Amino acid sequence: MSDNAQYLELAQQVVSDALEAGATQCEVGITISNRFSAEARDTTITKVEQSKGKSMQVRVFVDGRRASLSTSDFQRAELGDALERLVDSAQYVAHDQHAGLPDSEAADLTEDLDLFSAEIQGWDPQAKLDETLRLEKVIREVDARIQNSNGAHVSDAVTTTLLANSNGFAGRYDTTRASRSVSPVALDGEAKRTGAYGTAGRHLHELESVDNVASKAVKRTVELFGARKPNTMRVPVIFERDVASSVLGDIFTALSGANVAVGNSWAADRMGERIGSPLATIIDDGRLRGALGSSPFDGEGVPTRRTVVFDRGVLQSFILDSYYGRRLGMPSTANSTGGGIGPNNFYLENGEKPLEEIIAGTKRGVLVLDTIGFATEYATGTYSRGARGFFIEDGVLAYPIEEFTIAGTFAEMLSGIDGVANDLRFDSGIVSPSFRVAEMTVSGN
Amino acid sequence: MLDLQMFERLLSIALARGGDYADIFCERRRSTSFRLQDGRIHESGFGITQGVGVRVIVGQSAGYAHSDDLSSDALERAAKIASLIAHEKNAGSVSVRVKQQAVTPLYDPNRNTHAHSSEYVSLLARADVAARAFDARIVAVNVTLSDELQDVWIAASDGRFVHDHRPLVTLGVQAVSKSGNERGSGYVGDGGRTSIAFYGGRTPESIAHEAARIAMTNLEAIPAPAGEMEMVVGSGGGGVLLHEAVGHGLESDFNRQGVSLYSGRVGERVASELVTIFDDGNLPDERGSLSVDDEGTPGSHNVLVERGILRGYMQDHLNATLMGTTSNGHGRRQSFRVLPQPRMCNTYMPDGEATVEEIIASTKRGIYAKSFAGGQVEISRGDFVFMVAEGYLIEDGKVTAPVRNATIVGNGPDVMTKVVAVGNDGCLANRHYTCGKGGQYVPVGVGMPTVKISTVTVGGSNVG
Repeated sequence: MSDNAQYLELAQQVVSDALEAGATQCEVGITISNRFSAEARDTTITKVEQSKGKSMQVRVFVDGRRASLSTSDFQRAELGDALERLVDSAQYVAHDQHAGLPDSEAADLTEDLDLFSAEIQGWDPQAKLDETLRLEKVIREVDARIQNSNGAHVSDAVTTTLLANSNGFAGRYDTTRASRSVSPVALDGEAKRTGAYGTAGRHLHELESVDNVASKAVKRTVELFGARKPNTMRVPVIFERDVASSVLGDIFTALSGANVAVGNSWAADRMGERIGSPLATIIDDGRLRGALGSSPFDGEGVPTRRTVVFDRGVLQSFILDSYYGRRLGMPSTANSTGGGIGPNNFYLENGEKPLEEIIAGTKRGVLVLDTIGFATEYATGTYSRGARGFFIEDGVLAYPIEEFTIAGTFAEMLSGIDGVANDLRFDSGIVSPSFRVAEMTVSGN
Repeated sequence: MLDLQMFERLLSIALARGGDYADIFCERRRSTSFRLQDGRIHESGFGITQGVGVRVIVGQSAGYAHSDDLSSDALERAAKIASLIAHEKNAGSVSVRVKQQAVTPLYDPNRNTHAHSSEYVSLLARADVAARAFDARIVAVNVTLSDELQDVWIAASDGRFVHDHRPLVTLGVQAVSKSGNERGSGYVGDGGRTSIAFYGGRTPESIAHEAARIAMTNLEAIPAPAGEMEMVVGSGGGGVLLHEAVGHGLESDFNRQGVSLYSGRVGERVASELVTIFDDGNLPDERGSLSVDDEGTPGSHNVLVERGILRGYMQDHLNATLMGTTSNGHGRRQSFRVLPQPRMCNTYMPDGEATVEEIIASTKRGIYAKSFAGGQVEISRGDFVFMVAEGYLIEDGKVTAPVRNATIVGNGPDVMTKVVAVGNDGCLANRHYTCGKGGQYVPVGVGMPTVKISTVTVGGSNVG
């Protein structure tokens, strides 16, 4: 494990300097990260990036007025100047009775959440380069139609996170992360098609193999060959795992206390209501062993926990840090990022059937494999995306389709979930198994 | 931040194992921001980013390392790591000399300090009051203001050494309207590479009124129709269409690698002959303007498409060299922590001849997209999606009901052949656009006159 012990002392020192400068409360978070990433195209390594970076986030409260600083300059004199400006600027901020550090709550720093891999820390750079080149080689071996690529990428990071505050909290944890991905390009007639697939985890053995990643990426590239534009219709829509995860991401944002508190959320007034179908159980869990979204404490030192957000369709909790928790009269769910709100492991609970069985049970519908577009109206809860995928007829993938949009509201989508697949994997902070929504608008011809 | 000799030493270390080119990007960025929520100043924020990135290029490969520690030990270590991309065993010792070059600054070189907190706070409060006063149904207002000063020093193994000092201010107002169970929202931001003195002419009130007006319009909006129809794209903010549908496909990395649908097509017809597209890094005050880009090349006026014919790509150093040409000032990066990429600066279309009235009157059934909330494009095929921020129906030559949540899907090259009218009302959009590519975000400008496209697919929820 890397030795960054001096940084916890620095964080504590900055906390006391801030109090000296006039702050009533202060919190200092430091992140030290060693990153490596490689890119290959065909038979050449095209990029190698390797760096050790650090950053510090300081939050001060001066009688309920908050100000924050983000800096990569750790020199004592510079920090002193910045702290003085910070405390001075706070007098122009409005007093907010809810602003402040979380109430002290001892975090269990002894439980091993299995977030660190010595194997990744010691991963030989040459092995990473070889693997990056192999991804490029295998995509071309798997399918002769793969002529080009947007590159193969292998990266890893070893990160130390430290936090200290003026309530006496001092904590630290170390994490590792590794990923591999590739994005092949193939010619479909005159037109180029791109696909991509990747895998990520805290341990090397959790990653899908190079061969697996390459062949799934190739499948995604060639399976939409000859896609056509579907007719406009209202049919069941199946969201494949990665697209389903992005839908979960939009649901997460609408449930974030920062949006709920200001009314910028379709779910704001609906606590306790049955919104989703009985299959819609959504969890945020910061303590899943080895998962990418896990950590012992959140960005303001609150111990992580498991929060049931939707229990079989009933909205049970928003996603909160201590500030928005106080504003909404609820406890923090340990989702602070140290200034904002973010996920731990936020996921839709896994189903029991394979995706293939859900497709087989769909008489006429659409399987969505990819969406583009990202604007979402969180206040109204409307969802609209450009999409690509397959038209399903009599339980089989009849033909590939593209240049259509799918639209509906999140409430309709949650209540319409009538099938959840068993393909959940924890390769990001927000994840989902594939699921089917009973009916949505598909706009094409 | 570093003396000239340090830059020379780092370049010499970077090329010690060989390599075609090396450069050092040194940056110091100071930002101040304030956020207003619920009628009160919610938070103040400061940011300091400083560090040095060292790049070594060998053929099409780049080795890169950065350091936020400015000690000579740490910097030399970074230069050594970057040098590992090269393998010449007997490169011998290299001694690189650089010479400071004069830069013609596009922005005020004397804007060296931030304003006092009280000045920022008063601008936010004025925007908040104005948005609320616009209509009693404006129920929530968020205002953000950021003021940033970025200094960059770039030294390259070809002997260049330049310094650029770049200001950037943005005031953004988000207004939310509510009536019964209906909600609407509107966002407008403006600013540029200037100072908060800008808001003496472009007042916070005028920005707030625009945001509130859009929020009120969207409150009354009907669900967007779904299906194929004509589209009239509004002047200014409609330029997002050029940025997504064409601009990204003309960035030189995608073309050099052969993954863009525009690869190898210079001189060919790629759009209707009504279509001309420029990218200009020299326009005064625009977000995408740069005295020199992040590789030290001055910004320039580039013709991308001329009367429908593809004329050229946007180049950075690496891709230009590999394509046998020179950079035209499009090498940009988010910070010292990442490698530069070819990126757009300010992308726009010059005026045509039609009036807006003629364009609207000629439209039988269509959507009038006055501005977009954002968009995305898939480079290899050119498929794009845009979300309309302010849109209306056009029925029998007249603008009728506002529509909400319209998504436009289409294909870039296809849409460009379907441009059937270009207006005479071209302008650059409000200055608040930021472009994302490969995880890097940089400020850009967009602009366009009113343009009519004969058919697009609108994705709404109203199947009619």
